[in-house]
Amino acid sequence: MADPSALEIGGVAKSFGSLHVVEDVSLRVGKGEFVSIVGPSGGGKSTLFHIVGGLLTPDRGTVTIDGHDAVGRRGLIGYMPQQPALLPWRTVEDNIVLAREIAGEPRRASRELARRWLARAGLDGFADAYPHTLSGGMQQRASFLRALLSDHEVLLLDEPFSALDAILRTDMHRWLLDIWEENRRSILFITHNVEEALLLSSTVYVLTARPARVLERVEVPFPRPRPDELVDEPEFVRLRRRLTHLLKNDARHAI
Amino acid sequence: MADRARRWVPPLVAVVLVLAAWQVFTVLSGVDRWLLPSPADIVAAGVADHASLARHTVATVRLTLIGFTAGVGTGLLVAVVLHVVPVLRAAVYPLLVVSQNIPTIALAPLLVVWLGFGILPKIIVIVLVCFFPVAVATLDGLSRTDPVTTNYLRMSGADRRQLFTKLEFPNALPSVFSGLKIAATYSVFGAIISEWLGSDQGIGRYMIIQKSAFRADRMFVSIAIVVLISLLVFGAVALLERILVRGRPKRT
Repeated sequence: MADPSALEIGGVAKSFGSLHVVEDVSLRVGKGEFVSIVGPSGGGKSTLFHIVGGLLTPDRGTVTIDGHDAVGRRGLIGYMPQQPALLPWRTVEDNIVLAREIAGEPRRASRELARRWLARAGLDGFADAYPHTLSGGMQQRASFLRALLSDHEVLLLDEPFSALDAILRTDMHRWLLDIWEENRRSILFITHNVEEALLLSSTVYVLTARPARVLERVEVPFPRPRPDELVDEPEFVRLRRRLTHLLKNDARHAI
Repeated sequence: MADRARRWVPPLVAVVLVLAAWQVFTVLSGVDRWLLPSPADIVAAGVADHASLARHTVATVRLTLIGFTAGVGTGLLVAVVLHVVPVLRAAVYPLLVVSQNIPTIALAPLLVVWLGFGILPKIIVIVLVCFFPVAVATLDGLSRTDPVTTNYLRMSGADRRQLFTKLEFPNALPSVFSGLKIAATYSVFGAIISEWLGSDQGIGRYMIIQKSAFRADRMFVSIAIVVLISLLVFGAVALLERILVRGRPKRT
C-alpha cells in the first residue's frame, strides 16, 4: 500500500437519463499493480472505462491518473478494447505504433521500439503482415502491444480475451504475465471470468450488476510468478468459490 | 494468372462471337450498308477518317478528365464538409438526394444560355453528374466507421483531425472508390452530352455532324471511341484503387 497510486477512482457515478449505470465506485491501482474488475456482463464496467479514458464525464466523483485530475481528459492511458480493433489497412507494425503516432512521437524511434517488442511478443516476422492474415490470438497480442507502446503508466484492458477459446486463453494469460513482469505497468483489467481475475491480479474488485457498485475488494495472496497449476490449489479454489458465490448472490438480488 | 484468364476469356469470346454474327448477318441478309454497316465497314471508316477522329478524341478526353477531376473534387469536398458538420448533413443531405430527380441534361441548355459555348458550362455539366455518386459513396463510407475503433482512437487522445485522417477517411476509401468508378463512366457520358449541345470539337460534336450526313458507319466509330474512353477512365480508377486500398478493408 506504500507505493503511490497510478490510478484512483473516487466515488464515481454515472447515469444515462433514468438509467443508473455506475453508482459510487471507488478503486485504486498502485504503481506497477495488476488490478482486475470482475462483474456480470452488461454491467457498468465498460462505462467505467470510458470515464477513466475521458470519453465520458462522470456525474459525480473523481478520476486521478499519476496524481493529476483526469476527469474528461483523453490520451492519458493505454487502452486495449474487447475486439482487437486493429486498422485493417495498416500493417501490424504500423498498427502498434498508432498511439505513439497520435501523441506525435518521432516515427523512427517508434518503429524501432515496435520491432523490438514484436520480437519479444512472439510476433517477429509479422511486422509487415496485415491484421486479417493473423489469428485471433495474434491480433490480440498486437492490440496489447499497441496499448503497451503508448507509453502511458496506466493500461486499461477491457475483457481482452473473452472471445478466445479456453486453451488459447490460458496461453494468452501466460504471455500477458510474462510481458507484464518485464516492465510492470499499472494494469486495470476488466473481466467477467473469476478465475482469470484471480490468476492475473494482485487485487480484485467485485462489482454488482447495474448499477455498478463495489461489492468487495479482495487481495490475492499468491506470489509471482504464478504457475499454471495454481488454479488447482485449495486456497485458489476457495477464493474462486467465494467470488463466484458473491456474483451469483448479487445476480439473484438483481432479479 | 490462370484466375485472371478465367475471368477475362468468357466475355472476350462473347464479344468476338457477337461481332462475327454481326458480320455474317450484314453479308448474308443484304441489308443496306449505309443503314447497318458491318464491323469491317466500321473499322474501315475509322481508319479512313483517323486524322479528324484523333483531334475530336483528344478534345473529348481532355474535357472528360477536367470535368471528372472537378466533379470528384466537389464530391469529396461536399462529403467531408457534411460529415464533419452533422447539422449541415441533416439539412443538406435530403435536398441532395431530391436534387437527383432533376435530369442534368435538362439543365445543360440553361447553362449554355447563361455561360455560352465555352468549356465552363460543359465542365459544370460533368461536375453535376459526377459529384453525386462520389459524395454519397464517400458520406456512406465515412459514417461506417467501427465504433470500437473510434473509441480506441479517442481514448488514445486523437483529435478530430487525427480521427479523420487516421481512421475515418482510410476506412471510407473502398466506398470512395465505388463512387469514383460510377463517376468515371458518368463523366464520359456528361462530356458527350455537353458536346452535343454546343461545341466545335469533340466526339459528341463529331456524332452530330455524322448524324446530319446519315453516316451510320462513322456513328458506330464514335460509339466505339466513347466506350474506349469510358473503359480507360474506369481502368485508371480501378488501378488507383489497387494501389491505394491495402490490406483487407473491413466492411460492415
